[in-house]
Amino acid sequence: MKTKILFLILLISSHLSAQEQKMTTAEIASFKESVNVVSKKIKTLSTDFVQYKHMDFLSKDIETSGKMIFKEPNLLQWQYKKPYNYSIVFKNGKILINDEGKKSAMDIGNSKIFARINKLIIGSVSGDMFDDKEFTISYFKLKGQNLAKFIPKDGTLKKYIKQIELTFDKEEATVVQVKLLESSEDYTRIVLKNKVINAKIDDSVFTN
Amino acid sequence: MQKSTIQFLLINCFLAIFIISCGSVTKNYTPKKVDKTTYEAPYFSDATIDYVYKANISVYGNELSGIFIAKKINDTIHRIVFTTEFGNKLMDFEISETSFKVNSIVSELDRKILINTLKKDFGLLLKKKYQIQGQFENDSFDIYKSTDGNRDNYLFLSKKDQKLEQLIHSSKTKEKITLTFSSENNIFAEKIEIIHQNIKLRITLNYFKSEENSSN
Repeated sequence: MKTKILFLILLISSHLSAQEQKMTTAEIASFKESVNVVSKKIKTLSTDFVQYKHMDFLSKDIETSGKMIFKEPNLLQWQYKKPYNYSIVFKNGKILINDEGKKSAMDIGNSKIFARINKLIIGSVSGDMFDDKEFTISYFKLKGQNLAKFIPKDGTLKKYIKQIELTFDKEEATVVQVKLLESSEDYTRIVLKNKVINAKIDDSVFTN
Repeated sequence: MQKSTIQFLLINCFLAIFIISCGSVTKNYTPKKVDKTTYEAPYFSDATIDYVYKANISVYGNELSGIFIAKKINDTIHRIVFTTEFGNKLMDFEISETSFKVNSIVSELDRKILINTLKKDFGLLLKKKYQIQGQFENDSFDIYKSTDGNRDNYLFLSKKDQKLEQLIHSSKTKEKITLTFSSENNIFAEKIEIIHQNIKLRITLNYFKSEENSSN
């Protein structure tokens, strides 16, 4: 019996310690400052990613993976390589899609929602998303990491995304994980790895 | 894009009523004595499997793609979810032989005609039990006829290995929807096509190999 209680206490306490801790106002300021310093320096960024789509009713997450390339001010390529080839480029008000060799283009022109999505993706990966007008933001500390949670204020965006969570490496102040929550049960978790900042990337990369 | 698609769908549905071609679906097949009274379709029936497919939808020249997920959640009900490649959920249905529930759908796709079309398509895709009323054959297939309201379903089982390779949903005179299945083992369909004859709609599903499967 005693061992059972001890085990239970251990279980609870380890669970508690793994949980996130709220940042103080001073910690928030210094965290935002360090992220801003790093993200301002980003001219180009390329990273591998693994995307896990979690839905409550599935027995396991749906896993896809590939590479993301960004170049200032707003060239973006999001390329899935496994288990299929699908690449989407955001460029000069256009979305270019290459789906297993089948190409299509969409003019997004002045579409506000696409401009917002574009900004959101770039912001998520670079960490430059601390816009209090767009989001209600809360800040937490984890072991070796910082966590910022963004709740969209805009009704249209809120319909699609309930919350965005960005996890930052504490030392490097760069994003290591993006989590998009659709509801409490369903989310998309994107883990970024092998990140390369400011390597020379030619504009021709952003063709599809 | 959506609005014009819906208009097209509507216009074409009306056109379809006027353009009636004659001739029965079975005119090229030889009638046979019925050798079974029921048939159970093999696909989508294992509750332990997440059926995940890359989906391409072609509707009046417009291309839509994403991820199609089907899962048997109890004895009678399947959950069907369609997401973008990024994982955003576009629609989420629960469907059985007798019920249909929309858990969620993005407002851009929330059109009755689209939902009813998909309800019909997914109903055919997931239907398990068929009562057989007639039987035919051609060179390659044993063809079973099963009545479905005022329509008929024709099930094409390959003569070689009795795999379900095609399902034709038709009126008394004309094919309406054709489903083709490519399956290696007759348990799991690697590729599925749902083709509408009276509207320009084609749904292609390619089984989504997970990391562990693709490395095998």
